[in-house]
Amino acid sequence: MAEKKKYERPIITKHYSGLMNKFGSRAAASPKSEIDGVPIKKLISEFGSPLFVFSERQIRSNQRNALRIFKTRYPKVQFAWSYKTNYLNAICSVFHQEGSWAEVVSEFEYDKARRLGVKGENIIFNGPHKSKEALLKAINEKAKIHIDHFDELYEIIEITTEMNLKANVAIRVNMDTGIYPKWDRFGFNYENGEAWQAIKRILSNKNLKLIGLHTHIGTYMMSADAYKIAASKLVNLARGIKDEFDLLLEYIDMGGGFASHNTLLGQYLPAEEVVPSIEQFADAISTGLFELPLKIDEMPLLILETGRALIDDAGYLLTTVLANKRLSTGQRAIIVDAGVNLLFTSFWYKHRISPAQESGIHVEDAALFGPLCMNIDCLSDGILLPALKKGEHLVIEYVGAYDTTQWMQFIMMRPNVVMVMEDGTVELIRKSEDLDYLLDREVIPDNLKSVK
Amino acid sequence: MMKYFIDSILYSYSQIFFCNRRWFGVTALAATFLAPKIGAMALCGVVISNLTAHVLRFDKEKIKSGFYGFNGILFGAATTFYFELDLFLIFIALIFMVITFIVAAVLENYLATAFNLPGLSLPFIITLYIFVIFLTNYNHIVPALTTASDLKFYEYLPQSIKYYFQSFALILFQPNITSGILIALGILFFSRVLFLLSVAAFALNYFFLHFILPDQAETLIIISGFNSILTAFALGGSLIIPSRKSFVLVIISILMVVIITGFFYRILLTWYLPILVLPFNFVVLFTIYSLKFRSEYTDLVLLYFKPGSPEENYYYHHMRTSRFERFKHTFAELPFFGEWFVSQGFDGKYTHKEEWKYAWDFVVTDRDLKEYSNEGTSLTDYYCFRLPVAAPIEGEVVKVIDGIPSNKVGEVNISQNWGNTVILKHNEELYSTLSHLEANSIKVKEGNKIKRGEIIGACGNSGRSPYPHLHFQFQLTDKLGDKTYKFPFAQFLKKENNRYHLKTFNYPEENDIVQNVEIHKTVKEFFNFKLGSELKFQFEQDGEVRTENWEVKINLNNEFYIESSSGDIAYFYISDKIFYFTSYNGKKNSALYYFYLIAHQVPMCYHQNLYWEDDYSIAQLPAGVIRYLSEIFLMYKSLINAKGSLNFEEKSDHSNDIIFSNSIEIKGGFPFSFYRKNFSGKVILNDESKISEFNFSRNGKVIFRAKQL
Repeated sequence: MAEKKKYERPIITKHYSGLMNKFGSRAAASPKSEIDGVPIKKLISEFGSPLFVFSERQIRSNQRNALRIFKTRYPKVQFAWSYKTNYLNAICSVFHQEGSWAEVVSEFEYDKARRLGVKGENIIFNGPHKSKEALLKAINEKAKIHIDHFDELYEIIEITTEMNLKANVAIRVNMDTGIYPKWDRFGFNYENGEAWQAIKRILSNKNLKLIGLHTHIGTYMMSADAYKIAASKLVNLARGIKDEFDLLLEYIDMGGGFASHNTLLGQYLPAEEVVPSIEQFADAISTGLFELPLKIDEMPLLILETGRALIDDAGYLLTTVLANKRLSTGQRAIIVDAGVNLLFTSFWYKHRISPAQESGIHVEDAALFGPLCMNIDCLSDGILLPALKKGEHLVIEYVGAYDTTQWMQFIMMRPNVVMVMEDGTVELIRKSEDLDYLLDREVIPDNLKSVK
Repeated sequence: MMKYFIDSILYSYSQIFFCNRRWFGVTALAATFLAPKIGAMALCGVVISNLTAHVLRFDKEKIKSGFYGFNGILFGAATTFYFELDLFLIFIALIFMVITFIVAAVLENYLATAFNLPGLSLPFIITLYIFVIFLTNYNHIVPALTTASDLKFYEYLPQSIKYYFQSFALILFQPNITSGILIALGILFFSRVLFLLSVAAFALNYFFLHFILPDQAETLIIISGFNSILTAFALGGSLIIPSRKSFVLVIISILMVVIITGFFYRILLTWYLPILVLPFNFVVLFTIYSLKFRSEYTDLVLLYFKPGSPEENYYYHHMRTSRFERFKHTFAELPFFGEWFVSQGFDGKYTHKEEWKYAWDFVVTDRDLKEYSNEGTSLTDYYCFRLPVAAPIEGEVVKVIDGIPSNKVGEVNISQNWGNTVILKHNEELYSTLSHLEANSIKVKEGNKIKRGEIIGACGNSGRSPYPHLHFQFQLTDKLGDKTYKFPFAQFLKKENNRYHLKTFNYPEENDIVQNVEIHKTVKEFFNFKLGSELKFQFEQDGEVRTENWEVKINLNNEFYIESSSGDIAYFYISDKIFYFTSYNGKKNSALYYFYLIAHQVPMCYHQNLYWEDDYSIAQLPAGVIRYLSEIFLMYKSLINAKGSLNFEEKSDHSNDIIFSNSIEIKGGFPFSFYRKNFSGKVILNDESKISEFNFSRNGKVIFRAKQL
């Protein structure tokens, strides 16, 4: 028996004949009905809505691609997974299985990596805040400590002298690479000579071993050239270190910040068209590093802390339509069960949002609101979507980076997170929160316990 | 001094039987004293020869090895064997002993330098003939009638066996069977191969003699017998590496010995001269010399190193060929960065045929072994397109062809076959060619000197190239499109599932995924032994703590070696990124010995999943008695073999230690299939490039443990 044709609610659309553009009219959003072969419906019926879904296959192939792209351009390359981008254990473990080290920016991330079995020497400890206890632990466990400021340097000197320990350190360097905004709040500045001073200070201390240089020029970088400039500037420092102190550095850490294929708010063209490819970033960096006049076997290891570009397109947020509305302006509004509490990145991205089921060919401009009883809970103030019914699903794509670290428990609890494994099975990697979880941390003083 | 003097005597006795053991010298010396007068004169001969050599300041090592002494022994023994000695004759004989030495010094050295041949016992033969003919000037010389005194003890032995032992005895001019038995036993202990050869040689001699010269058989049996035995020793195992072919050579040579003996018998009869070991010298020298003119070397291999027992020669040669057969002094690396896939190897199905068969095509693939993303319809879809390619070896740019546009995917440019190409010159007879490069990507100019790993251009799709790839070949000239030359890469890693296999002096094969070896500082710092550096190790042995010092030295042949404080020596070789131990001489319980076994081959890198293999000579392992038994079959093949499998271990927590372990397995083949032995070793290198421990275990139990101080 032929399937019953879907009922399509009539919509009235105003024709804007004068506003045709060279990209043509946008076709009706094609449905995204499955992830790696697993139907969205099945995922939601099993794990509820909203639901974060990660693709193991996509993560692995992103990482392998990136590694291949860099390794075929530069002889020694090591990736370090940026924990802050997504520190769900299962996600980190996939990266560690692919050979990535851990790049952490806080003590708790450091401990998390250690618990996952990452060896101290394979952890890069970044960030402006490292407590004395955290530093001591990292020194003892031979982690690579990237010093952010002089006060931290003095603290490390104090710890190592006091306890007669040896620390493996690098410094973070900030510099002008011709891009805006200039990130000069992290690390030591290159242009004003601060970085060189820090290097000299480290090299004059017998308890500190300078093993590398680090820079991280920004985030969601739209220009590959900036990386070439950054690499050249670090190379200049490395050359200085070799010439003056006869020391070959073990590595140069170029940080991360490669843009993913998410389109920024206010960006006219889709990201795929304007964002440099990883190949372009890699070409820029290797060209910069090859300015170092060393034999091929003496070249420093290139470390990359790429986060976003490796995980963004491996994460999906599934959501369900709660209601349709018409705003006072006449614009349609759709309320879904995932809001800014789960999609922090909607403050800067125009996410790609597709229906999870077949729908009509006609689309209508709609505002997309989350379930929170707060005015800010708006996922999009204008997106072309076909008519949707209550209970139908939407798939929000490219949500792998930052959303599951910057999400919040606010009005709503955090939902389940699952991973579609390479063999097609689905594994729960983080259980949804419930009231017990929330109350577990709360303490009511005795005199407040009785509620009349 | 005394030890040197005694050594020079014992080794001289040993030398006569192609042996280099002191204890064998003692056996032979004892055997000569069964006829005390002969023994005394023989001893006199060697002492005078060696003293003369010493006084005249000849090379001490050569004197010690018995090089000058053994002719003296033979001469001394022969004089007493043939003549009744009186004081006058003894006086003459002593003078002749000096003459023997001088003839030996001339002949041994002349043959060695002019023909690269051993002098064998020619000096003795010449001097003895001079002596015998000289004595015909006197009328009162009485020939001796030396006969065996122990025949009655051996009446029960068949005549042929008695002849066999007498042949052995007569090499030292001993009439007694007991002497022969002593020497035969000594040979058996020294080398199963030689013993087997002696039996085979005597049997063959017996057969050929009765077949070819039936009338003279009784007269010549012992003379041609010992000539056959010595010939078999020389050609079967001592001067040629023992093998099935060397055995065939022995069979043919013994036929020649019989004929030549018959010939000299006739000629020398007229001069009243004894035949001695003349047929042996004649056949061996001619055979060895003629073999040097072969146009192609087969597995009939002339000894090319300092001789040991045939077994040692066999093991040394086979270990060397299995480990260093393709060794080259120029160390080539893969001409790119990262992992590449060999889309066409040697004798490929597309273009690597005939004169161009030793070439490689390299591309880059993803996890599904696809060469491109998207549809593969545009050049930029191909992973390898525009990737940097680098110089495999340092050298000079001799040819640059640039400006040929890229083909579209699927199209080829047949008029400019090679596309954009760079030809590099590495030495007078080694050039390499990188072809199908991207137009205008070439960064070098003709005449530029370049380092290994320096980027010369980018992979492209020019020339006869339907899709982007790098064509790479070695060749002998700077001609574009010249025929390919088979030349190995010094070291590379081959990906096998999740492991990497280290290949040395090898050729990547079609469908291999390969990459270069990345140097690891810690490993390199330890294994890159510098001349004069000193290391100190501490270990416990026999209940006491001992130390052993090592010093890195170099010899006249530019061979590096480590000498331990107890005099043991381990030779090593470093090929850029790989450390090899090549051989070991010394005690088998020193720290150096165990380290030699464990660190037999070590790449100066660290990859968690890297493994590699190496072959061992079982002579250098504690293999036990079975090994000696198996050597009876050595001419057929080696029935017991030893292989080592090495790998890096995962680093443990909180430590930067690099650990590699080695498991050495000795395995017997039929009929020794029951025989199996396992050794294992581990080296722990800390991040200051010092060995915090290395240990060696037998069947899982640690039997040696040492640490660097």
